[in-house]
Parts: sequence; C-alpha cells; structure tokens
Amino acid sequence: MNKMILLIALPLLAAFLIPVVAKFSATVSRLLGPVVLAFVLVFVALQWNVVGRDSFAIFLGGFLPPVGIVFYVDHFSLMFSAIIAAMLLVVWPWGQYTAIRQQSLYMLLAASSFGLVLSSDLFNLYVFYELLAVATYGLVANQPHKAAPAAALRYLFVSCAGSVMLLIGIGIIYTITGTLNIAHLATMIGKLHGLAGLSAFILIVVGAGVKAEMFPVNSWVPEVYGTSSKSLSALLAGLISKLAVVLILRVLLMLFQVDVVLDLLLVVGILGVLSGEMVAWRAKDVTRMLSFSSIAQLGLVFVALSLSGTIGLWLAVGLMLHHLLVKGGLFLLADSMPGSFNSLKGLARRSPILGAIFLIFIFSLLGIPPFPGFWIKLMLVINLAQQDDVLYQIAIGVVLFATVIEASYLFKLVRIMYQKNDENIIKPPQTSTSGMNLLYAKFFALIVVVSMPFVSPISDRLKDMSRQSVNAENYIETIMSQPKLGGQS
Amino acid sequence: MMSIEVTIENILYFGAISLSLIGLFGMMMLQNVFRILLSLVLLEAGANLLLVLSGVRIGGVAPIITEGMSAGVVMNDPVPQALVLTAIVIGVGIQALALALIFRVKRNYGTLDLRKIREKLEKDIAVSNEVSAPGSYQAPEKLTESTGANQ
Repeated sequence: MNKMILLIALPLLAAFLIPVVAKFSATVSRLLGPVVLAFVLVFVALQWNVVGRDSFAIFLGGFLPPVGIVFYVDHFSLMFSAIIAAMLLVVWPWGQYTAIRQQSLYMLLAASSFGLVLSSDLFNLYVFYELLAVATYGLVANQPHKAAPAAALRYLFVSCAGSVMLLIGIGIIYTITGTLNIAHLATMIGKLHGLAGLSAFILIVVGAGVKAEMFPVNSWVPEVYGTSSKSLSALLAGLISKLAVVLILRVLLMLFQVDVVLDLLLVVGILGVLSGEMVAWRAKDVTRMLSFSSIAQLGLVFVALSLSGTIGLWLAVGLMLHHLLVKGGLFLLADSMPGSFNSLKGLARRSPILGAIFLIFIFSLLGIPPFPGFWIKLMLVINLAQQDDVLYQIAIGVVLFATVIEASYLFKLVRIMYQKNDENIIKPPQTSTSGMNLLYAKFFALIVVVSMPFVSPISDRLKDMSRQSVNAENYIETIMSQPKLGGQS
Repeated sequence: MMSIEVTIENILYFGAISLSLIGLFGMMMLQNVFRILLSLVLLEAGANLLLVLSGVRIGGVAPIITEGMSAGVVMNDPVPQALVLTAIVIGVGIQALALALIFRVKRNYGTLDLRKIREKLEKDIAVSNEVSAPGSYQAPEKLTESTGANQ
C-alpha cells in the first residue's frame, strides 16, 4: 500500500532524468515519460480493488499525524490519478518543438498533480499546487507563438497573487487551530467557523480559483489558450482546472459545509456561467469561443458545489468528468479548425467525420437528451429545484438561460460549417499535430457515445464514490486512528 | 472592548498585513511589469511574515532542547518557520522565472508597459487566429468593423 508514493516519486525522478538521459540516448529519454505514465495507470488499476470500500492513509516517514505528512487514498483520488495519467499520455509531446523541455515539464506536472489529489495536508496541497503552477508557466512560456512569453507573464502574475492568497489563508487557519492536517482540522471544526476561519476559506477559494477559471480571476484564460498549442489548451482546460477544484473540494467538504460559504460559491458560479457564455457568444474564432465556454462550464461546477454534501460532490464530479471529456475533445478537434469562423465555411462538408464529431461534442455539451451531458444538467437542475433558497431558484434560471446562449453560438458555428462553400477557399494549413489530435478527438467522441447507455451505472458508481469521500468520520478515523502505524512507512 | 493594545506582536501583525496590502495594491494598480513583479515580492514578503508570526511566542526561544533547560521555557513554534522556508524558496524561484519572462517580453515587444503589452498580445492572438482583434472597453466596435475577417 505504501507504494502509493511512487506516483509522485517516479514522475519527479523522470522529470529531472529526461534532460540528462537525452544527452546519451534520445530514444530512451523519449520513452521514459510515457513508460512512467503507463506504469501509473497499471498501478492505479491494481490498487483500485485493494482500496475497496475502505480508504486508507499513508504516513510518510512513519511520523504519525498530526505531525507527519499524510496521503489519503480513496476511489476519488485513484480515479483522478488515472485520469491525470491518461490525459497526459494523450497530450504527450512526441516530436514537438523543444520536446525535451516540454516532456520534463509534463512529468513535473504529473508528479505535482498526483500529489495534489493524494495529499491530506494543507501546506502540502499548497506546495503541490505551486509546483503545478510552475510547470504550467514553463509550458505556456515555451510555446512557439510570438505572444507566448507575454501571456505566460500575465498568467504568472495572476496565478502568483492567487497562490499568496492561498498561503495567507493557510496561515490564518494555522493561527487559529495550530494544525495543518485536514483530518485533524476536521475534528475541531467549530473553531474554523468564525469570521477568521471563513475569511481564510475565501482566500483559499480565490487562490485556487485562479487555476479553476473562477469568475473574477480568470482574465488569463483567453490569452493563454490563444497562444498555446491545442493539446496544451486541452490539458489546461480539461485537467488542470479540475485539479484546482479538487483542492477546493478537499477543504470545502471536510471543513466548511456552512451556508455562507455555499451561497458564496453559488454566486461565484452564477457569475462565471453568465460572463463566460456572454463573451463566448461574441467570439469570432474557435479557440476563444472554447476558452470562454470553459469558464462557463467551470462556473457550473461551482454551482454544483454549492449543493451540500454527497449530492454536491456527485454532481460536481459528474460535471467535471463530462467537461474534461468534451472540452478536452473539442480543443483537440480545434487543431483541425484553425482561423476565424468564416474560414471554416463548408468544413463539415469537406470532412464529414470532423463535422460529426463536433456535433457529438456540442450536443453533449448543451445537454441534448441521449448524450451524457443531458443527464448531468437534468440532475443539476432537479437538485437545485429542491433547495428552498431563492438564490438557487435564480441559479436554475441562469443555467437554463446559459444553455440557450450556448446553443445560439454553437449552432451558429455548426451552420457555418455545413454551409455550401461557393468560393474556392484553400484548405487551412494543417499543423503537425492535427492528425494525431483528430484521432484522439475521435476517441474522446467514441467514449461519449459509448457511455450513453451506461449513464445510470456510471452515475451510481460516482455516487458511491462521493459518499465515501464526503464521509468526514471515515476520513478522520482513517487518518487519525493510530494502530495501523506499525511498519507502514 | 475592541481597543487594540500596542504590543510588539500587534505592530508586527499590522506591518505584515500592510506589506501584503501594499503589494496587492501595487499589483492591481501599476502598469510597469517590473514594478508589478516588485509588488509581488512585497506581497509574498507580507504573507511570509504573517505565517512566521503565527508561530511566534513573545519571549520564546528557538525550539531546540539543550542541556540544563528548565521545563517551563516558552518556545517558538517551529512548523511555520519550516513552512515559510519552503514558501520563500518557491517564491524566489518564481520571481526568477518572472524576470526571465519579462526579459523575453521586452525583447519581443520592446516595452514594459502592461497596457501596451496586452494590446500587442491581443493583436498577436487575433492575427494567429485570423480574426480582427476583440474590441476593448475603450473602443468597442472600432477595430472589429474596420478590419473584417480575413478570407
């Protein structure tokens, strides 16, 4: 069980070995990353049944909590680990510009992501979050686009300010309670619900919200996605934003299930949905449209989080997985759809498969009945309707209204793509990666289609998982109970 | 009841919070990217000071047990100090990275003014996507109509 630490150690080792090994053998260094990621996938699959119904904790170095650093392993963190590994394999830069540096950064990203989903210690969360941030700055700055350094710099400023907020929040929590272990904090929850504790939580949400594309702190989104390659955008929008939400989730679920906090998340979510959809409606190219649509989708996740307990986590995870699949797929697909909307005229007639995949994705994104997206939106609206608060009623209206706006701009694009093309437009130049990415997009679309009949069992599994993760007593007991400690380091 | 005593601890807290606020204000208000970076340094310094303060016991000694120590000695909490050490290292690394990026931005765009950088950045993104630059708040439709989409 304590082999779980390999999830962080191996990618970290690989990250620093890749540039060294590349001096001797290019092939080995190229294979190192994918091999590690594949190993992680297999490893997580093996651990899945070991975890079973009981989650377990790992005490690094054998130091007992609350002193030592703790990793908490349950199905939730295992699922995210698997998703991280799979997603990184999809966007792996096989033969791209400055490949060695990128591969190294991707491995750093992997290590910090695994740490983020496993860690059960506030300061550890901060360190891994910061490591993740550094890796993304590097990746964004390394893009061949002329504007990339400027975009990376703006992103760095916003993100760094966010990280400091996170740090101050953690500092306040430590000042109040004298501990950083989340399970230990959960045992003294009363202390945290004062004014200081709540302001600490708000600081944490704002800090992590930068990467989660949360409403007031997401000005970096269009710039970074505009200058990055489509696979990096798919990674940032699909995965990294979700990891920041996971950080918020851990703190929210265990420590801050308070009405004020939930209302705040709801308001932030509503504003995110509205602002994202409205700007996306005005966009004139696919990348910009997708960037803002992704802000809106993350807003939906925050709306879901504002429902307390199991239901909230269940809906949030459902929305996150759906968005990861669909928006990741759309960004990969966008590699074959460069340029403004006008230059896409008749694209779907030239390549019907591309058109079909695009339709599958946007149908699911909008929530048209047989597709998984429909069920998630339906469950979200039903559960919102069950709340008494008038704010939740407003949220229903906003979610439905946002869907209308979304439909309007997405179908506008569809109409352009299926227009008869009279003028003889030269086919837009294909980037070196578009073929590969189109293949992956096809694969993502296949998952969306195949998952249609299985929506009900999948959602049941997710509900079980959420129940396991929300269970604070289990969480505290797993981490704080001492007897298992013997030789577990 | 809410009168705040002037103790060394409160003065330090006041200093830490002020430093953070100055930094935050600078980051939001200034236009020169290098100054923004310096504001970030201030912000981080304030946050670190705040974190250290959470472990300070006034009159406490370093948390090292030495020979001949009596049992009742007040010690400072070592955990925040360890945390701040980590935070400082991370901060310095990121500041260096930011400086390198500022260097590259200066080389590409020839300016350090954030407004100009943003303008050029938006234009470059728009050009690479073959669309007209998105309208800014100052000039909503001027750009969008005149250029038109490239065919």
